[in-house]
Amino acid sequence: MNTNTLWSLRLGFSRKEADRIQAQGIELFLKNSFTTKPNIVPSHILATTPKTVADIKAVKQSVKGNRAKIRERLKKEKKILFTLKSWWIDKMATDDYPLREKMTLFWHNHYVAAYKKVKVNHWIYSHNNLLRENAFGNFRELTKQALRTNAIIVYLDDTKNTKRGLNENLSRELLELFTLGEGNYTEEDIKNGARGLAGLIVGDNETRYRPSLQDNTPFTYFGEKGVFKSDDMVDIIFKQKAAPYFITRKLLKWFIYDNPSEELVHYYGDYLREQDYEIQPLLLKIFTEEFDKPTAGSKIKDPLTYILQLHEELNITTQNNKLTALFIRQQGMDLFDQPNVKGWDGGTYWLTAQLYQQRNRLANLYCNGKNVSIRMLKNTGYDNEPYAATFDINVKWDKGNNLQVINQLKNRLLFDVDIETQKNLESILTHDFDAEDKDANKAVIRLFNYMLKTPEFQLI
Amino acid sequence: MNRRNFFKLTGTCTSGLLMVPDFLYNYALQHENGHGDNCIVFVQLSGGNDGLNTYIPYQDELYYKLRPNIGIAKNKIINASGGMGFHPALSGFADIQQKGDLTVVQNVGYPEPNRSHFRSQEIWQTATASNEYSNDGWLGRFLDHHYKEHHPVGGINIDNIDNLALKGEIPNALTIQNPNALRKANKAPVNVKLSKNPQLDFVRKIAGSVVDGAKELKKATDNASNSNISYSKKSKLSKNLQWIAKLIRGGLNSKVYYTSLSGFDTHSNQVNEHNNRLTDLNDAVSAFYKDIKAAGKLNDVTIVVFSEFGRRVQDNGNGTDHGTAAPMFIIGGKNKGRNIGSNPNLSNLDANGDLIHQIDFRSVYASLLHDKFCFNPEKIGITNDRVKGIF
Repeated sequence: MNTNTLWSLRLGFSRKEADRIQAQGIELFLKNSFTTKPNIVPSHILATTPKTVADIKAVKQSVKGNRAKIRERLKKEKKILFTLKSWWIDKMATDDYPLREKMTLFWHNHYVAAYKKVKVNHWIYSHNNLLRENAFGNFRELTKQALRTNAIIVYLDDTKNTKRGLNENLSRELLELFTLGEGNYTEEDIKNGARGLAGLIVGDNETRYRPSLQDNTPFTYFGEKGVFKSDDMVDIIFKQKAAPYFITRKLLKWFIYDNPSEELVHYYGDYLREQDYEIQPLLLKIFTEEFDKPTAGSKIKDPLTYILQLHEELNITTQNNKLTALFIRQQGMDLFDQPNVKGWDGGTYWLTAQLYQQRNRLANLYCNGKNVSIRMLKNTGYDNEPYAATFDINVKWDKGNNLQVINQLKNRLLFDVDIETQKNLESILTHDFDAEDKDANKAVIRLFNYMLKTPEFQLI
Repeated sequence: MNRRNFFKLTGTCTSGLLMVPDFLYNYALQHENGHGDNCIVFVQLSGGNDGLNTYIPYQDELYYKLRPNIGIAKNKIINASGGMGFHPALSGFADIQQKGDLTVVQNVGYPEPNRSHFRSQEIWQTATASNEYSNDGWLGRFLDHHYKEHHPVGGINIDNIDNLALKGEIPNALTIQNPNALRKANKAPVNVKLSKNPQLDFVRKIAGSVVDGAKELKKATDNASNSNISYSKKSKLSKNLQWIAKLIRGGLNSKVYYTSLSGFDTHSNQVNEHNNRLTDLNDAVSAFYKDIKAAGKLNDVTIVVFSEFGRRVQDNGNGTDHGTAAPMFIIGGKNKGRNIGSNPNLSNLDANGDLIHQIDFRSVYASLLHDKFCFNPEKIGITNDRVKGIF
């Protein structure tokens, strides 16, 4: 596979940026990516969903006790959520320099706050926007801000954590899943941390402590004693030796390796600490240093990159991205709704025989210019949605003999091809292939379709 | 790929660890006795089945006091004994109980119960504590240990979507809507030779699973003797269990089969809804029981019926909200046909008004693994004591 194509897939969602990476070089490309502006969600999507805490309470009150009305309201909010999903997918697919979105998606899978528990679109939206604005920001400061989002404190039960009855959920995940990782803290730290987080309540813009519910007695946290609140706790956490490694490992996994070596984790992690937890210089270092290494094929492709790559390769521009959202949900990558607080595991967890076949079915449909069934939309409660039953697909290739055409497609699609796979490819586009033949394009699409279904295509 | 699917014969129930040379695996595979043909069929009731209206404490006055709208009248209860009896829709279950082939494990749950469907299913499927998370399912972890190498049909999940319970490090289980579904899969040859890249090999194993799985499933459905047991044509669960029976009769020799029935989330209109679901369950399981018994395999096949949680003791008018503990039903597999655990205690409820569990579901899992597969549950992180007396 061509290196620029590989990195376009890794730093975005398709081959779209490959020419830009080639023309600018990786370093300038990254710098241009860092300076993109975080466009926010168009307000019309959220126009009819309650915004302030008072609004949310009022709406809940107005349907209380009426099951039909409650259902109707849930359905309406679900639809708004789906519009938000498809808006985000549109953005990921079409943004120039999509690295900001890929990082937003990374944080989205780090500070997990799933809709099925949070249940307030406005909170999901502001959480998402925070991550977009700070996609390349400071990890420590972003952690502080994440604790100020309603979505996080609701998702991790901190609204039930008061001095009268402690709930350790947020305190635990703050250490285990947001910062240090298992084995780098004690149960005592979790217990005490819950006291520091007790009394946080939802607010219109951000969370705040309610004086009557917070716990103001001093406690010990990683050996320091005092009356600590969320910001102080985060500052203490980031003084711990283990602080940079957990996130560095996760970044290496997200972008490059399903199984990064501990040596690399420490090498880049130490740099992150030197940079006072600024993410931007870390990304610049990782991507420029890893760019020329032979790393292709060390990561199983996530479902979103899989489908957006197909859209780009086949020139499918009219897909309703609500269907894309439904496809990736089937594939275990539901946006705004990870299965649990750990988020999507990635790697080998992206594929089972069932999911692989689902991918292959999509590839077959698309390569025949067909869309997935409209029933998928209707089952989710959508009528009158724009829907294209067929696509005018187009696979790019330059005329040449069979081996030349195979090579062109290989360079875009397959990270590696061994002798046996090559034999299979040549049995599909045979040596008597004639680029001038009227059915030549069909033959190339057959080859393209075959490549999509190989194990090699599932990796980048 | 080498597809001689030997399993690991690393332990026996009586003598602990045995070191068995490789060639003996082959021998063991052909001459298994005792535990070799055992399999477990799981039927998951999704949505939270109301245990109290399934196996009913009809002699407890509190039951009728707390459930004025949805309680099942005493005179409708069947197979009443020891203070407990079945919902009228479960005549088949009652029949199996009378034949001594059904064990009820009462008040099954776990500490710090989670009342979210998804999360509680995840807890049951991964067999972790309610504040712990595991990427792999308990049966997937068991299959990882049980098979020496990749065995595509070690577990069969008949469903549209994968089941976390069967997810392991190695793809030893397949999800299929029916055993013919894989035949339509990719006909073109795919290179599945193992390489030096572990990620590529993982995907190649999965690709190989589809090809080999299709073959194994076809072989089993072709081999299966005919059955003259009739199953309900309208019910998905019946159809799924009919397929499973056919695969067992055809000698597929999977260790675990899994299927589910949804619709148990009876917040409202419970009397009708629950009756319909239980009728569906009853018809499907009775037909399956007869089918397996007629094939002479009832001693090898254990059916386990469970749900992610029970429901609140007090009704909400015409339904019930999410609760905690509930009974598990175990059919076949030489179970002793007893009631295990005491009857639900309706006078000692938790702060939410829910039953307090008596038996941890992982203790039941531990017995299943130990008694049916001679497998030490600690190997997959289940440290709970076994429930004694099921088998």
